[in-house]
Amino acid sequence: MSSRLTHPDTDLATAATEPDPGPTAKGTTWFQDLLMGAKYAVTGGKEGWIRTVLTAVGVGLGVALLLFTTGLPGALDARDQRGRDRMIAETAERKGPDTLLTREENTLFRDHSISGTVLRPEGPDAPLPPGVARFPGPGEMLVSPALAALLDSPDGKELLVPRIPYKRVGTISDAGLIGPVDLVFYAGSDDIEGFAEVRVTAFGDKSPAAPWDPILLLLITVIFVVLLTPVAVFIATAVRFGGERRDRRLAALRLVGADAGTTRRIAAGEAAAGALFGVFVGLAFFLGVRQLVDDVDLGIPTRFFPSDFAVNPALALLVVLAVPAAAIVVTLLAMRGVVVEPLGVVRTAKAAKRRLWWRLILPLAGLAMLYPMIGQGSDRGEFSEWMVTAGVLLLLVGVTALLPWLVEMVVRRLHGGPVAWQLAVRRLQMSSGAATRPVNGIAVAVAGAIALQTLFTGVQDDFTKDTGKDTSRAQLAALIPQHIDNARLPEITKTISEAKGVKKVTTLGSVEAAPADDPQEGYISLTVGDCAALAWVAKLDKCSDGDLFLLPPDNADDTSGSEVKAGQEVLITPTGNESDEPVKPVRWTVPADTKTVAARLDPNGQLLTGIVATPGALRNIETGSLNYHAYITLDLKVPDVQEHARNAIFKADPSLYAMRIMDISTNDRFAAVARGLVAGSAAVMILIGISLLVSQLEQLRERKKLLAALVAFGTRRRTLGLSVLWQTAIPIALGITLATATGLALGTVLLKMVKEPVRFDWAAIGVMAGVGTGVVVLVTALSMPPLWRMMRPEGLRTE
Amino acid sequence: MNAAGSLLTAHDLRKTYGSTPALDGAEFSVHAGEVVAVMGPSGSGKSTLLHCLAGIVTPDSGTITYAGRELSAMSDTERSALRRSDFGFVFQFGQLVPELTCAENVALPLRLNGTKRADAERAALSWMERLEVADLGNKRPGEVSGGQGQRVAVARSLVTRPKVLFADEPTGALDSFNGERVMQLLTDAARSTGAAVVLVTHEARVAAYSDREIVVRDGKSQDMERAA
Repeated sequence: MSSRLTHPDTDLATAATEPDPGPTAKGTTWFQDLLMGAKYAVTGGKEGWIRTVLTAVGVGLGVALLLFTTGLPGALDARDQRGRDRMIAETAERKGPDTLLTREENTLFRDHSISGTVLRPEGPDAPLPPGVARFPGPGEMLVSPALAALLDSPDGKELLVPRIPYKRVGTISDAGLIGPVDLVFYAGSDDIEGFAEVRVTAFGDKSPAAPWDPILLLLITVIFVVLLTPVAVFIATAVRFGGERRDRRLAALRLVGADAGTTRRIAAGEAAAGALFGVFVGLAFFLGVRQLVDDVDLGIPTRFFPSDFAVNPALALLVVLAVPAAAIVVTLLAMRGVVVEPLGVVRTAKAAKRRLWWRLILPLAGLAMLYPMIGQGSDRGEFSEWMVTAGVLLLLVGVTALLPWLVEMVVRRLHGGPVAWQLAVRRLQMSSGAATRPVNGIAVAVAGAIALQTLFTGVQDDFTKDTGKDTSRAQLAALIPQHIDNARLPEITKTISEAKGVKKVTTLGSVEAAPADDPQEGYISLTVGDCAALAWVAKLDKCSDGDLFLLPPDNADDTSGSEVKAGQEVLITPTGNESDEPVKPVRWTVPADTKTVAARLDPNGQLLTGIVATPGALRNIETGSLNYHAYITLDLKVPDVQEHARNAIFKADPSLYAMRIMDISTNDRFAAVARGLVAGSAAVMILIGISLLVSQLEQLRERKKLLAALVAFGTRRRTLGLSVLWQTAIPIALGITLATATGLALGTVLLKMVKEPVRFDWAAIGVMAGVGTGVVVLVTALSMPPLWRMMRPEGLRTE
Repeated sequence: MNAAGSLLTAHDLRKTYGSTPALDGAEFSVHAGEVVAVMGPSGSGKSTLLHCLAGIVTPDSGTITYAGRELSAMSDTERSALRRSDFGFVFQFGQLVPELTCAENVALPLRLNGTKRADAERAALSWMERLEVADLGNKRPGEVSGGQGQRVAVARSLVTRPKVLFADEPTGALDSFNGERVMQLLTDAARSTGAAVVLVTHEARVAAYSDREIVVRDGKSQDMERAA
């Protein structure tokens, strides 16, 4: 402290005795005071440094999160562009010098998609896919680094290599990948023609990107506001870290002649310096963590290349200027209620009773801004992003304005109770601000999260569909294309059946037919399978080989085909309609005694129509090669059973296409936004938890001597521990209550904006409120060991 | 020093903080109703001796006996209970809980002992009256002067009618007038209840209120008998 007092003596004495300066001189004085405070931030010895470091780390964390969240749209755009860059842009019908023959060989490994393409250049000018330096030869492949690592892992070797058996000859560079964990391979092959091949002449989709759904845009806008508002609250809290100790130092400055205004400006300068350090710490965090975003597995499959996370220079400049400026404003506001006296005594001025009216204006103004947006989300309407942002921001900031009033109003009415309760209540009655400030961040985060959760619950039906597929009968299907000789079917079925965990393989073949009297317009589906397989699509009382049945048309589906009757003559198209060659249809009359039976949903959730027949019923008819689906029933208790089955499918024939049967499908973008919300909320909660802990410890440290004295006259540790818990629990209970009410109100407004019925997922809301409460309980638990330490009698020592 | 019949005795106390010895074979005894001043220069080990005697700090070696019970044999919980029931404390800066009113501060030790709130506050007001601060009952410590605050602290220390009152530089932060008044009230009140007083001070005029003085220097104690 002495070093602090020796430097400024002259400056302060001068400042205290000089007559009132003019406006310019006033500005200079202001600047000098701020500069002096900034100087103290770094020359104030251990205490000053601790305070500066606390502020810098706190602000730094907030700034880093700010940069990450604001950098996210750019990163998403870059990722989107990378995906479009490798899409097929132009194709050709015939082989040429600039054509590349390709066929997709995509697969899944557990829940991760693997994008595979087999290719063969047909001329010297064949286009290279992005990220590929040269074409792999037949049997060779180029892989992404993530896929290479997966293939080299023990699980990859056992479960994935069998279906990606190509020899690795190189790596796909970043230009060909959408992210660092992208699983991609390009394999060379001489055997591509015949099934689903595409002749490519150029890569890189030039068409404009698909516009985002307005509801998703609304979600993203709200997520940004919801995640960033607590960060701003956190920064406002962080610049006040160590405030009480600083006030004591300021009292010493008063003693040597600084007036009240000067001390306030010095304090502001000190906070601004800490905040400025924080900005640089935040930039360093951002740049450091950005390098790790491709290494750290956050459980989110959507990861980004560090280079895609670019900082907008204008935003960076704004942060560098705005954060220290905000620190100055926050400190000057905070110092209004503090009277720093020259005798080293800092007394909190009797706080004026908090007024409600202006605090209500903020949320009401927010609602007023959101009101015109109601109903704008239907019919792909447009939201005014600014109105939504401002409205949500005002509502959430309203929480931070209302909470101190609410806490003050409630604690004023609390009396009685045991000692721990009394100590806590009295502390809150005397100064609820210190306890409420960190809770503000949690309250805003919880309010925002509840609002978003409500919105998500309301709109998730629009993005998450029940596919109608029946996963109880089959969990995997293999498409056996027509080019595969039907004679191989038993061998293929046997190979798949022998895979580990496969319980049953049910095959159903199909071929197209048409009414003989209207072959151009009519369409009849002819499905072939044994009796057990036909029972999956039709309700059969009895069946034996040689039987066939008619299924009634599905009146609900116009594309389900024409009605077919017993005795009707039909034309069977033997090789289907995929062949370019003209085919000669086979004329066949449906036997007159054929029964009509009710259809049953197949595992894909479809209701078949037309004719279902056992192989014996078509024995003498030339149907050509049928298009088969093998439905695979798995023993889900076997680990990685899907992978074993997929390998068996590939082993049976590489051109077989495996499809997972899922009963629910989720829009990828919606899922990504939902995952982003969870990750962001977690980061914000951790951040707020840290600020809560720092504030808690700081308050305890300030009371070290008092705590030791209380212990000296026999106060139980449990009593003091409970008083700390109550002191945190009362504001947090009120904060969570207010947050829940605000969150539900905001969620309701948001749902009305997208014209969705208002309903609440109470379990999820409970979880959000519980997480907020859990953070407080955790922070209190973490502050207990330091509390025990501070209660040691050493705290009474003065020498 | 005659330890026979003493309420609280200490023998060959040793205590080191890091490499610095605070007590180096200190001896102490106090009888019921006796006021003993512990004197010595800053850093001599006076406060450490007081903290050891009160069971706040455990000495590295030596024995402390209170009413026939060995303090070092007690658990932390037992020592805390003893401090709540039998000991009272006054510190240099009062160490009143700033958010409680003065009356609530005085009532606090009773409430920690399980006394009902109304009874505790009634007893508190009675002690505050004796110490001439009854009108401060609803004020917070920050709203009263240093001398008034210290008298509230003395009332708090006596409210449980302790057997031993430990006072660590109780007038150290007061001017001489207030210091004298506080000492007068403290010793009168203690004597009226028969409490022993262990008074740590480096001021001779404060020590003058005691029956006996012990000087601590370099961690060693020396009994200085005083003529009545």
